[in-house]
Amino acid sequence: MREWLIRLRDWLRRDELDRELTEELRFHREQLERDALGDGAPAEEAPYQARRRLGNLPLIQEQARERWSWPWLDHFQQDVRYALRGLRRSPGFSATVIITLGLGIGANAAMFGVIDRLMFRPFPFLRDPSAVRRVYLTWHDRERSRSTSAFEYTRYLDLVKLTSSFSQFAGFTTRSMAVGLGDASRERPVGVVNASFFDFFDLRPALGRFFVAAEDVTPKGANVAVLEYGFWQREFGGRNVLGETLHVRNIPCVIIGVAPRGFVGVSEDEPPAVYIPITTAAGNEPNERMATNYYKTYNWGWMSVMLRRKPGVSEATASQDLSQAHVKSWDAEVALSGGGTPSKIARPAAIAGPLKTAAGPDAGLESKTLLWVTGVAVIVMLIACANVTNLMLARVLRRRREIAVRLALGVSRTRLLAQCLTESLLLATLGCVAGVAIAQWGGAALRHLFVRNISALDVVTDGRTLLVAAGFALVAGVLTGLGPAFLAGSGDLAGALKAGAREGGYHRSRMRSALLVLQGALSVILLVGAGLFVKSLDHVRSMRMGFDAEPVLLATANMRGMRTTDAEQEALGQRLLEVGQAIPGVEYAAWVSAIPFWSSSATGLYVEGIDSVRKLGRFTYQTTTPDFFKTMDTRVVRGRSFTALDRKGTPRVGVVSEAMAKVLWPGKDALGQCMRVGNDTMPCTTVIGIAENAVERSFSDEKRFMYYLPSAQYEPASGFALMLRMRGDPLLHQETVRKALQAVMPGQSYVGVQPMNDIIDTQRRSWKVGATMFVAFGVLALLVAAVGLYGVITYNVAQRMHELGVRIALGAQAADVVRLVVGQGVRFALVGVTLGLGLALIAAKWIQPLLFEQSARDPVTYGMVAVLLLTVALVASLVPAMRATRADPNAALRGE
Amino acid sequence: MTPSSRRDLLPGTLDMLILKTLIAQPMHGYGIAQHLQRLSEDVIKVEEGSLYPALQRMRQKGWIKAEWRQTPNNQRARYYTVTRSGRKHLGQQESGFLELLAAIGRIMRPA
Repeated sequence: MREWLIRLRDWLRRDELDRELTEELRFHREQLERDALGDGAPAEEAPYQARRRLGNLPLIQEQARERWSWPWLDHFQQDVRYALRGLRRSPGFSATVIITLGLGIGANAAMFGVIDRLMFRPFPFLRDPSAVRRVYLTWHDRERSRSTSAFEYTRYLDLVKLTSSFSQFAGFTTRSMAVGLGDASRERPVGVVNASFFDFFDLRPALGRFFVAAEDVTPKGANVAVLEYGFWQREFGGRNVLGETLHVRNIPCVIIGVAPRGFVGVSEDEPPAVYIPITTAAGNEPNERMATNYYKTYNWGWMSVMLRRKPGVSEATASQDLSQAHVKSWDAEVALSGGGTPSKIARPAAIAGPLKTAAGPDAGLESKTLLWVTGVAVIVMLIACANVTNLMLARVLRRRREIAVRLALGVSRTRLLAQCLTESLLLATLGCVAGVAIAQWGGAALRHLFVRNISALDVVTDGRTLLVAAGFALVAGVLTGLGPAFLAGSGDLAGALKAGAREGGYHRSRMRSALLVLQGALSVILLVGAGLFVKSLDHVRSMRMGFDAEPVLLATANMRGMRTTDAEQEALGQRLLEVGQAIPGVEYAAWVSAIPFWSSSATGLYVEGIDSVRKLGRFTYQTTTPDFFKTMDTRVVRGRSFTALDRKGTPRVGVVSEAMAKVLWPGKDALGQCMRVGNDTMPCTTVIGIAENAVERSFSDEKRFMYYLPSAQYEPASGFALMLRMRGDPLLHQETVRKALQAVMPGQSYVGVQPMNDIIDTQRRSWKVGATMFVAFGVLALLVAAVGLYGVITYNVAQRMHELGVRIALGAQAADVVRLVVGQGVRFALVGVTLGLGLALIAAKWIQPLLFEQSARDPVTYGMVAVLLLTVALVASLVPAMRATRADPNAALRGE
Repeated sequence: MTPSSRRDLLPGTLDMLILKTLIAQPMHGYGIAQHLQRLSEDVIKVEEGSLYPALQRMRQKGWIKAEWRQTPNNQRARYYTVTRSGRKHLGQQESGFLELLAAIGRIMRPA
């Protein structure tokens, strides 16, 4: 091994070694000369004697030199030099190829970086990651299959008790909590985990220790905290913080350790800043009922569970074991609550699935869209490869004569093949460098789009992504090199030699045409996808949601565990509302108990004449203050909304959504009807108004049964969030509003303000991602395909210049020539479009679920894409066509 | 002694002889050739044609190091020094060679 390294180094400095050897031999000769003189040889004889004794000098040098020469390495170097010379000679060609491959490789490297982080890459420090799974529980609700990875602590204890296939368990979740005191306090992600959580990893704390089982016990764990490394560095300057107190929400925690650098737990978003025992977090819940019952009842699903399969336990066995445990746990819940769906009907089961939720059964629309986009990136790569192959083929065809001459001079076909491959691999390598640069740059945009919280999407320093980029480059190099290599090695030597320079000949290449059609077809598929996603996004954006959240700011008050009486709460709420309404720029303000896409509440609802309202669907309520409908711009279509006069003590009133009115009182007027809320013994809540349907938890797929109640008439009186409708851009007012409201907050409580649109945008993200990426890649593909078509037509025209000249000499008009050339380009495009549309129709089936109120077989989109591609083909071939009309008939005739 | 009385070396022995020579003191190519010739009383005449390739090979194997130094006559010459792995190699070669020599001697004696 070492010897080979030395030999390689010698090879690199072989010129120097040559010189040294020459000098060494000269010294030797001089010594021999001196010896000869000493032996009494005449002065003019001595050099000859010395030379004779030394023997054949060039042979000695040759033999010594063999020690540092490697023929294949020399060949390789020659090939690289030859290729480099060739690339320098045609910079336009080289740049086109490098950029084309760079775009393909870059797109894939960037997408791989995202997908890998979201789905595949194991968490740092995790020991034997393949055996570590996350628990997903499934059941059936009204015949619909449901699944979740967030459940109750009690359920977790059941699973631990009732299964035998696992060696380790840990409950965990990340919750946003106020960390620190006073002005320094910030809302931060807090890792709420079992002590056993740390045992899943090969970890050595950077400082102190992790918490142990004795500190993580029901009902209430110890007040201890472990810091994240970065948080420790930033907030504490990396000093010894052991024993200091850190306030986490309402818990004063003693810092007992710091996790090592790079440890993120199993966090898929921003890593937790602090870790505290799960029982400490739950046992200190401000809500007394939750704090005392979280490990005994099944009311609060808030945490996830990870576990480690015992060696030899298969995935299927593990899931079976979990499923039987879930059935027993379900029965226990039914027995405890004395109600609910029996397990025979709900059919509870469980899956030991991937630790990363994006790869699990609960994966959202976004990760599915992302997988599609990755497929699209691969298609872009294919298009790029097709294009480059085409360009290289054209080059080989142009160099046919040169190649023939070299073959005639005795260059072996193997060497020729090696040369072609060297050239394409060199181009691919340069393309890879360009690709990594593009991915690095594009990565910033991608991060913005998908994984906003993952701090590192650095391509240049990421081994896995670099490896994938290199892999793609290698495949591209071989793919694009093979075709030209065989074309170069084959063919009729004598014919090419005889033909001479002018008659380079017009070669129709079936391979080139096929590649061109393929490019066109693939571009069509991408553009159709782009069109469908753009339309989906458009539908989502223009959809009437039942409110207009654009100018709305959302303020949430965090009491940080302060125990306040209802009266105090009510007074504070009133105060905040008054202050909020007085802020300049605020049009209306209202307290709400539910926020669209964020939280919703449901309770028992009873209506005369209907056996079970629950069977009709989920009815959610919103308790709010009088200005709600104006604040949210939700239209009250009939009747009236409530006012300040609907207070405690006055008859209960409510507003229902149109959908709800229709389902509860079909064919009747809902106004004036009576419903009982919470309990069938409650007094009547009279329907006084009907509001338009509003989106509640998802854009599609729900019944929109909602009702609104004045919060003054319902307990508890406190709201959950304050909505403020602003005049103009809400972002401009965000800080003013926060300051004004904060001034009212007592003690350590605080207010957070965010634009309502942020929440809604998150919901629209999958379509936004799809639309952006498909459009970006689609345009890229179209561009590459257009350049490809242009290149091929231009090349063909150049090859046919003589023939065209003859045609013109024989009386062909400019229009005839243009028609001839453009016709060829458009024919290619037509075949490509037909093929592409056909493939898109087939793929429509799978892409349909990702779209929003948009048929995947939309004829308008398909038609527009066809027209677009044909137009591009027309333009791309028109330029060379114009050049063709300038074919000189004189030159052609003289040449004959 | 006439050239015809010089003996060809057994294969592999040249490396050993060079190493043995260099163990005593670092030397240049000419010096090595002279040394071998003198010590063997002119029986061994090392061809420069095999000496220099051998030196390169041994250098690449890491047994010897080469560096330019001044000779006592103030000329620049390339001196070779034995490395640690060279010494180890020499040790193995030497014992193997002596065994071989003894074996050959035993076979040749009865004749």
